[in-house]
Amino acid sequence: MVYARTHADSTLTFIVSGKLWRNSMIMQDVETGTLWSHITGEAMEGALAGAHLAMIPSVQTSWSEWVAAHPDTRVLHKPEEIRSSQYEAYFLNEDRAGMFNTEWLRERLTAKTLVHGLVDGVHALAVVDAALRDNDDLIVTLGEHTVRVRRDTDGGVIALRQEDGAELVVRTAFWFAWSGFYPRTQVVD
Amino acid sequence: MTRAILILTAAILFAAIATADERPEPEVHGVFDGDPMYTLLPPDAIPAIRDPEYVIGEAAAAQMSPDEPVIGLARNGDAVCWSAWQLDHHEIVNDHIDGTAIAATW
Repeated sequence: MVYARTHADSTLTFIVSGKLWRNSMIMQDVETGTLWSHITGEAMEGALAGAHLAMIPSVQTSWSEWVAAHPDTRVLHKPEEIRSSQYEAYFLNEDRAGMFNTEWLRERLTAKTLVHGLVDGVHALAVVDAALRDNDDLIVTLGEHTVRVRRDTDGGVIALRQEDGAELVVRTAFWFAWSGFYPRTQVVD
Repeated sequence: MTRAILILTAAILFAAIATADERPEPEVHGVFDGDPMYTLLPPDAIPAIRDPEYVIGEAAAAQMSPDEPVIGLARNGDAVCWSAWQLDHHEIVNDHIDGTAIAATW
């Protein structure tokens, strides 16, 4: 998730609070100490409680696909020693999903099914990754809107509102995490 | 599934280092929207990046693997990406793109 880190006219600096909510990170801003959910962008507790950060659409893809689409991209300088994920065993183990026993809808999809999530007001929709074929738009209904979902040339998944072409925020997550946040989510698979 | 690139949270870190039997009983900090907020570490124990440094071109290619997962963002010709493997260690990058102060979170 990428957010504009501004509130009113001030810029906020975020650190990791060390706290978790619904198996996800709570951020803290240095300026006011307010706690913020990194999944929803909402200020949960503190001076700015109730405020929301604006989400900025971003994609999750592979380096090779990203750099092919954006050859001039800058990339955060990385220390030599980071050459793999430290969570490989975790990702491959279906029995380990998050720290706590979040109640997810086990019977609907397996915990680590990858989904691309969309939210509009009270409406939430999860598009299963395997349902997206390359070069093929998926037409879905999100609340009052018709939305085209597709895998872009850079490998990321994007969603465009049919009526005005507006790009919607797509959040890619494991099913267990998504359904924990949006237990009434619809599923497209 | 090289595209299996995932939202990663602090939860995963703790899950990765502790088995079910060894997990400490976490302190409940408070309740938000009906669910508990747990305190597991002091603030800033996982260091967010505040002054990001970037590489481009050959230097960028040299540090990255082809199938390495990234979060990418492009605005008005400014394209930036962050390695998910690196974000595992920081979770947040305080950054700017096209003049906007942003936070990339993982």
